[in-house]
Amino acid sequence: MRHLALVVCLVTFTGAACGQAVAPKPQPPQDVKQVQAFKQFTGLIQQYLELRNNLEASLPRLGTKESQEKIVEHQHAFAQKIREARAGAERGDIFTPEIAKELRRLIRRELQGPKGPNARKTMRQGGRVKPFRLRVNDTYPETLPATTMPPALLLKLPQLPEAVAYRIVGRDLVLQDVEARLIVDFIHDALPK
Amino acid sequence: MRRRLFILAVLVAGLALPVAAQNLTLPGKSGSVRFAVIGDTGTGGTAQYEVARRIVEYRQKFPFDFVIMLGDNMYGGESPKDFQTKFEIPYKPLLDGGVKFYAVLGNHDNVNQRFYKFFNMNGTQYYTFRKGNVRFFALDSNYMDPKQLAWLEQELKGSGSDWKVGYFHHALYNSGKNHGSATELRLLLEPMFVKYGVQVVFSGHEHVYERVKPQKGIQYFTEGASAKLMARALQATSFKAAGFDTDYSFMLVEITGDELYFQTISRTGATVDSGVLRRPAQAQSTAPASVYSRSRMTPFPAKRGLRGDFRLAEAPEPRFSPSNRREHSGQVSR
Repeated sequence: MRHLALVVCLVTFTGAACGQAVAPKPQPPQDVKQVQAFKQFTGLIQQYLELRNNLEASLPRLGTKESQEKIVEHQHAFAQKIREARAGAERGDIFTPEIAKELRRLIRRELQGPKGPNARKTMRQGGRVKPFRLRVNDTYPETLPATTMPPALLLKLPQLPEAVAYRIVGRDLVLQDVEARLIVDFIHDALPK
Repeated sequence: MRRRLFILAVLVAGLALPVAAQNLTLPGKSGSVRFAVIGDTGTGGTAQYEVARRIVEYRQKFPFDFVIMLGDNMYGGESPKDFQTKFEIPYKPLLDGGVKFYAVLGNHDNVNQRFYKFFNMNGTQYYTFRKGNVRFFALDSNYMDPKQLAWLEQELKGSGSDWKVGYFHHALYNSGKNHGSATELRLLLEPMFVKYGVQVVFSGHEHVYERVKPQKGIQYFTEGASAKLMARALQATSFKAAGFDTDYSFMLVEITGDELYFQTISRTGATVDSGVLRRPAQAQSTAPASVYSRSRMTPFPAKRGLRGDFRLAEAPEPRFSPSNRREHSGQVSR
């Protein structure tokens, strides 16, 4: 009986070990593309972050107990510096066609999947923002609210550093510099109808 | 005749206001944690100023130390002048009296409000602070990303057996017909609140006042009518315990030992809801608060051993007529 148990253990162990050693489970080609695209996205975000952090360092530091005058002044000055530094920036510089394609695919999968109805409800509840003309380096309109980002989507999208955030405007996905309130990039029709 | 009637009405109103302000149901115990709750305030409109005056009036009877703001602190523009007319001027007597405001962000708020000196957010979109035996968790429900969720879990885990009060803009339970419950957010936050023993949650967004029957041991309040009102927006739901949607309102809260007292007051000074929650003595971090009444009982359906009871006092019973929606102040609630 003891011997039988030992044999079973050995077979199980070697089987598992062999399973590990044989070959990693091949990823579906779509997933490989997504991993590559999101890796590229992380790199581009990092580049943007370095640029904007350097620009911000050239401004008087904003404290945590500021007057609104100083906050507004800082926001405008910072936005202007970014605009100047990225004067030639265009749509697709960060959301490149490959990245945009993968983000669209991910968003569609989430919004058309089982969590989709709840996610759409979140966006409706937050007050869907009426579409306006998006342009890189424009300020996100002061008087418009922000669409509440569905948490399920935020759990799936590539995580962003605090300086930038995803926003949804109509069916478009916007990358916003939070402090400068600038539109950094955007994807048209990122959300399904 | 008309003029006489008008003068009479003004006199009656003038007499009624101070009387109403004297009606305090909170115990005012020595050493208690006292605060006010306001939501969706930043209009700069008449209603905001009237509610603010009423809060100031009540503070004379109930000296509270701080105010929690449930988001939508600024509607529309956010210029320095806007911050004056929509915040600094209406609440000046409170600011002058040393009252501190702790804000969270609503969907209408510029994230840079986190740097504003009077909102005490210390440059962050979500934060926690402690007052006496109470730990407050101020969250950004517009952007509940994995980072914030991880932070919240860590903070809740380490917060011991104090009262735990959460507040953020979007209500996890709400009977309003404009927004209703934030069900997706609820799926993420509620298990964490239950696990770590959050007893009370305040939210805004829907421009009404509502108290929900305790859900999984947690008492939820919506106070989104401190400057905007979605009149007759409350619908009948299985979880609504009390509501007020016919005028603007704010809340006063007092926590002393294992008891939390609350009083909800309308713009005209009427008390529209009041009651007390009791936390089990020496509560474990996972133990929810029990709910008791201080007055006549109107039992709720028992759930997880809770007995709940509050009463609407002195105000006309709110009417819930879904077909009779009217909007005050001409602004659409988001």
